[in-house]
Amino acid sequence: MEKRIGVYICHCGGNISDYVDVEKVRQSVEGDDNIVLAETTMFACSDANQKDMVEDIKNHKLDGVIVASCSPKLHLVTFRNVTERANLNKYTYVHANIREQSSWAHSDNKEGATEKAIHLVKSAIAKARHTEALEPTKVKAEKAVAVIGAGIAGLKAAISLSNKETHVFLIEKEAAVGGWVAKWRDLSMSDETGEALIKRLYEDLKKRDNVTIFTNSEVVSNAGSIGNITLKVKRKDEEFDITVGSILVATGFEPYKPDEGEFGFSTVPNVITLPEFKQLIDHEKDTLTYNGKKVRNVAYIYCVGSRQPEGGNTYCSRYCCTATIHAANEARKKFKDIQNFHFTRGVRSYGKQELLYAESLQGGDIYLQSYEDHLPTVFVRNNKPVVRINDILTGGKELEVEVDLVVLVTGMTPRSDNSVGTMFKLPKGRDKFFNEIHMKLRPVETVIDGVTIAGACQGPKTIIETVNSALSAATKSYTNVSKGMLETDPQIAEIDAKACTGCEDCLPLCPFDAISMKKDGEKPVAVINGTLCKGCGMCTPVCPTDAIDLIAFSNVEIMGMIDALI
Amino acid sequence: MATINPKFGKNLKKYGGVNFNACYNCGNCTAVCSLATQDVSFPRELVRMSVVGLEDEIKTSLKPWECYYCGECSTHCPQDANPGELMMSLRRWLTAKYDWTGLSGLFYKYLPAFLTALVLVFAGVLFFANSVNWELERMLHYGHLFEMVAIATVFVVIFIPNLLRMWYFTVIKTGTKAPLKNYFTALGDLFVHMFTQKRAKDCEDNHFRWLEHLILVIAYLSLLFTTVFLNWFGTENLFVIILGYLESAFIFIITVDFVKDRIQKKKALSKKSQPSDWFFVIWLLLMGLTAFCVRLFIDLNILETNKWMYLFHLMVLAQWALLIVPFGKWTHFLYRSFAMYFAKLKTLSTTK
Repeated sequence: MEKRIGVYICHCGGNISDYVDVEKVRQSVEGDDNIVLAETTMFACSDANQKDMVEDIKNHKLDGVIVASCSPKLHLVTFRNVTERANLNKYTYVHANIREQSSWAHSDNKEGATEKAIHLVKSAIAKARHTEALEPTKVKAEKAVAVIGAGIAGLKAAISLSNKETHVFLIEKEAAVGGWVAKWRDLSMSDETGEALIKRLYEDLKKRDNVTIFTNSEVVSNAGSIGNITLKVKRKDEEFDITVGSILVATGFEPYKPDEGEFGFSTVPNVITLPEFKQLIDHEKDTLTYNGKKVRNVAYIYCVGSRQPEGGNTYCSRYCCTATIHAANEARKKFKDIQNFHFTRGVRSYGKQELLYAESLQGGDIYLQSYEDHLPTVFVRNNKPVVRINDILTGGKELEVEVDLVVLVTGMTPRSDNSVGTMFKLPKGRDKFFNEIHMKLRPVETVIDGVTIAGACQGPKTIIETVNSALSAATKSYTNVSKGMLETDPQIAEIDAKACTGCEDCLPLCPFDAISMKKDGEKPVAVINGTLCKGCGMCTPVCPTDAIDLIAFSNVEIMGMIDALI
Repeated sequence: MATINPKFGKNLKKYGGVNFNACYNCGNCTAVCSLATQDVSFPRELVRMSVVGLEDEIKTSLKPWECYYCGECSTHCPQDANPGELMMSLRRWLTAKYDWTGLSGLFYKYLPAFLTALVLVFAGVLFFANSVNWELERMLHYGHLFEMVAIATVFVVIFIPNLLRMWYFTVIKTGTKAPLKNYFTALGDLFVHMFTQKRAKDCEDNHFRWLEHLILVIAYLSLLFTTVFLNWFGTENLFVIILGYLESAFIFIITVDFVKDRIQKKKALSKKSQPSDWFFVIWLLLMGLTAFCVRLFIDLNILETNKWMYLFHLMVLAQWALLIVPFGKWTHFLYRSFAMYFAKLKTLSTTK
């Protein structure tokens, strides 16, 4: 049966039509083979036009649709949904980009832009002639989720998943759950202590039948793909397998460890890090002493291990300004005669945390500030640490103060043990933390299907932000397993077993380990794991016998498009 | 190199500085200030110096005197850090630093000390009245004499040394090289600012403040002249008598307006009155009022039977001349004028 294709050419309100003669484009394709309908439209994406398209598809019995408009990143899904609403398979839709690739790029040459737009549309038509209806692959999804790491993120995610009636395996490397939060007493923005908070969550989890907690345990290997992942867990001397549909990684952070001599660390007496100071004020009673001496004046040096120059940790660790101001407030309230000096790089106590900053100022804390190229220095005088700064708030004047204790406000760094990241092939950002797909649009998903990330393993976060991301990741992981069934994108590679010579050239090229060898009778041939394959196309060009084709980007389609373009 | 000194800020609170440590250095105060310029930048700079405790910098600075406290900065401060009141407290602190006797500081910081001094002066007045057997003639005579002696003494013993100290701190210590000629050239500024507070004209809150101030200064100084040199209470000259009435009336009418402002607290300037502010305006008011009444009693011929009226006036006068003028807020008038003079001097001269 002959293809019946409809073409819509969008003005984009002038974004396209100011430079591209859309009417000329329409005329050039009207009457071509298979073209049943060719129209221009002011805004193809408008509700009215979408409704018209649905009617057109039904009335003209179209089985291929093209919209020539903006980037497919913006509206491919929009128009695929239009075709679905008209009961047409969404993979028969082809998108042509004549805005970013033509009108915007060649606004200085209207004729050229028009000519290029014609080529682009004809190329889309060439592809549309060969499109086929595709059905997504369905795989069974195990209704269980493994949460790796039982810190505050892991615990909250486990509770959330358990509430959604999904079985949760909570896997923790340490002997006890709770991570860093369990070690902290006073928390900012909450009257509950860190210990109590963790205890409450842990007690809650223990009561649940659908939660299995493994402490002293590590995941040593994984196999399978989204919906059906088998993890080998090692607990002390025993090893066992669990099968889950999705994985939530919440492996947390490590505090930055200053280098020897960095702001006097381990070279000047009484220089400690923020976590050490936190322990100190939590455990001292009535008077604050360090090394047997009473502490009155405390200097805090901010951004140690954060916001470093290029080559170091350039990121901001977010939590430390608030944590330090909170600790300084607690110290001032708990012990008598404490004077705090904050050597900052600009205070970032965002949101409600500003209240802590206001409290600190009211309490008489003194704030000083420097730029990254003029950091404060720490040295010894009279056996006491002295901090010196060019304070930009006082016109760059050189100021110094002799103190009893220097607290280095250390930021967050990624875990030095990256075994979990390596195992799941989780990509990392420039900051070496695990990377999400899109910071704003897909903030907890990774490019590895079925693996979500939560908490500080993704980047520095406060407890509130960690919990928010944990709940978000729990929901995302849940959507992978909720229906017991998963649909995967059918636009993947396929191998013609007859043509395959079993040369194995394609195997090492696959970034997702989706190709493996299998015996077809006597002959070894390559096979694709449909749930692992992302349809990236890396394998197709290397095949010496053209045995690999990418569904929806088949050789015949691509060749047709190229012919139309040149 | 300077040492951060939190104690300075704590001490400044005793001089009336409130909440200035809440400052987060946004700089709104300096942006809205109609008197701050690129070269003479305040109040933020001084708020900062106070927080960090740069005592020497502040002691040698003339900037606190450049502010006329319109209160715009405090109105616009997002942190309620009250920069205007800080500038005021710095002026109090500076007068205490200039004062070699140390009494200014004592009186600013400890109200009981000042109240005790007031009582002591009152007792002194009673003692004096008793020693002249409560005879009106002699009281008037010695009262007149006292006024002359007090003015001269305060001038020589307190003001001249204190102004020299101020000159030393702000001109010499800052390394200003001023040839003698400049001291004369700048002199014009001294008198202009002493009488007019003309810079306050630029303050946006109240364009008439400087006019009120001008009338008050003229009335005050001429009443002083009328009573001391024209012997208002003893004269028969009708012109002098009417002149005195007018001057004293001007004084208490204008000061009533000042007191009213401080009670109503509508303007930022009058929201945070310290005891020294109250004493200044109330005693000035009483000065005008009691002088007016004494002369009225003389003209009605009832002073002989109402000696208390003169004693009351003498008490107010003595407290004013011995406490408020040399150690209280009155000195601001003097130091501010000289600050403008020294500032002019410094712009004319070179700094090392």
